[in-house]
Amino acid sequence: MKFTIPIGPQHPALKEPISLRMTVEGEVIKDADIRLGYNHRGLEKLAEEKTWIQNIYLTERICGICSHSHSTCYVQGVEKLMEIAPPKRGNYIRYLVSELERVHSHLLWLGVAGHEAGFDSFFMYTWRDREVVMDLLEMISGNRVHYAMNTLGGVRRDLDELQIKKILDGLAVLRTRTEFYFKIGASEPTFVGRLAGVGYLSREKALALCAVGPTARASSISADVRKDDPHAVYDEVPFDVCTADTCDVLGRTVVRIKELLESYKICEFLLKNLPTGDIAVKAPRRAKPNEVVSRYEAPRGENMHYIKSNGSDKPERLKVRAPTLANYPATVEMLKSGFIADIPLIFAAIDPCICCAERTVELVNGRTGEEKIVRFSELRKLADERFKNRPVKRNAVWPF
Amino acid sequence: MTDLELMEKLKNLFGDKIVEISNPALRRVFMTIAPGNVAPVFAGLSKDLHYTYVATISGLDAGDSYEILYHLADLNGNLNVRTRIPKADPHLVSICPSLPGAILYERELQDMFGVVIDNIPDSRPLVVPDDWPAGNFPLRKDWKYERPAEIIPGGKK
Repeated sequence: MKFTIPIGPQHPALKEPISLRMTVEGEVIKDADIRLGYNHRGLEKLAEEKTWIQNIYLTERICGICSHSHSTCYVQGVEKLMEIAPPKRGNYIRYLVSELERVHSHLLWLGVAGHEAGFDSFFMYTWRDREVVMDLLEMISGNRVHYAMNTLGGVRRDLDELQIKKILDGLAVLRTRTEFYFKIGASEPTFVGRLAGVGYLSREKALALCAVGPTARASSISADVRKDDPHAVYDEVPFDVCTADTCDVLGRTVVRIKELLESYKICEFLLKNLPTGDIAVKAPRRAKPNEVVSRYEAPRGENMHYIKSNGSDKPERLKVRAPTLANYPATVEMLKSGFIADIPLIFAAIDPCICCAERTVELVNGRTGEEKIVRFSELRKLADERFKNRPVKRNAVWPF
Repeated sequence: MTDLELMEKLKNLFGDKIVEISNPALRRVFMTIAPGNVAPVFAGLSKDLHYTYVATISGLDAGDSYEILYHLADLNGNLNVRTRIPKADPHLVSICPSLPGAILYERELQDMFGVVIDNIPDSRPLVVPDDWPAGNFPLRKDWKYERPAEIIPGGKK
């Protein structure tokens, strides 16, 4: 017998409205469906009524965590339309903020993953360390969330020697902490055991369903826009694309921790080789009729903006594809044949409160619909039997 | 594979199905095809050129036609396939048989432009609400939003 459990659109554990409909048999998810649109703000329509400059601040508000990603993706596209190039120093500062943003986003994700896995000390550690990078971002830009660093033709704020020193000191602290997190997997078997095998997404499925970012890279797809389409500074900076081959939540954690270490490397390179000169050039108010496809590797995967200009000071069309949307079909695939208890881990930020216990336990046979009141000892016996044949059970080994 | 090699391969593969092909920037190739050739071209792109990743599909209201732009990408760069369909009869064929990841973007296209995707595997609305009035397609240029008058229960008339 199958039940359909709705999670959302309004749910205490959901930070944003999305509706998940889980078809479950017993506690195994057989099918999942996602309904979007509860938070559709009509931003692409609005962008057609705003000027090129106003749209920087509009695109920055697409996301609260990777705000710099969308504005950078937009700005680097519009600069191509306007046929201007930011000065080298401006470019370095822009992508320094990008990498610092990736650091804060990945540390945030690690904390959420730790929390959902029931490892709350990990959550508190990573979020404490995240304050280091948040303070750095505040020092650079004056803001913690919407940095407002980008402008057409460069960035709005410069760095001085003292700030560079402070950032390097902060990065040194973060590196030691991240190396510690990398080791945690080896010394904390419960954490590895909770993550291994959960949310399995094979390489073939990840390719077919167009997964992006760390989700794809954890399924051993070595796709990273920074390497595939080395825009701006990424052809000068040495870094590696991080992948894992376990295809599960453990792999996604490993990929993100490795990416943190790569981001520190990129930041240090950018700071040590920071050129002198201007940080911005003056941008025209209008752009000639043209079109551009702008790609950017956000913390969650590929951002794509398609921008078309018509000669006026407003865009003819701005199409935004955020990475999370691309990962939804893959998420549905991951949820299938998982447990209800794995939904929060797989969906990271979602914590469904389904088991509201009653005093007597009534068991409903999931296949026949037969109902029976049982004693606690019987329930215990059934549970032991049940967990002997778990459908998804893989080896829990931390991949070094 | 460089952009020129890719363009050469595309020309060999699709011949006169390509109306126009250009390379305006590094790692960006734009190709225009007729709407009738969408299914065979995408079958060829996935089978012969091994494209698996469709980044998104952009729609554009271009006066008397809709411009549909499929953004594909692989490790070599970004291929954009453009097609134009008349506004009077906006029908397009689904590319999901070749590239199953396109389903979300085709559904989005239906919601936003009212383009009818024939043989789409799942035609439910994706981004518009369940009670969205029929025939309202927000990204068409002639669509304007009018906020309904606010009625406060028990308020002044």
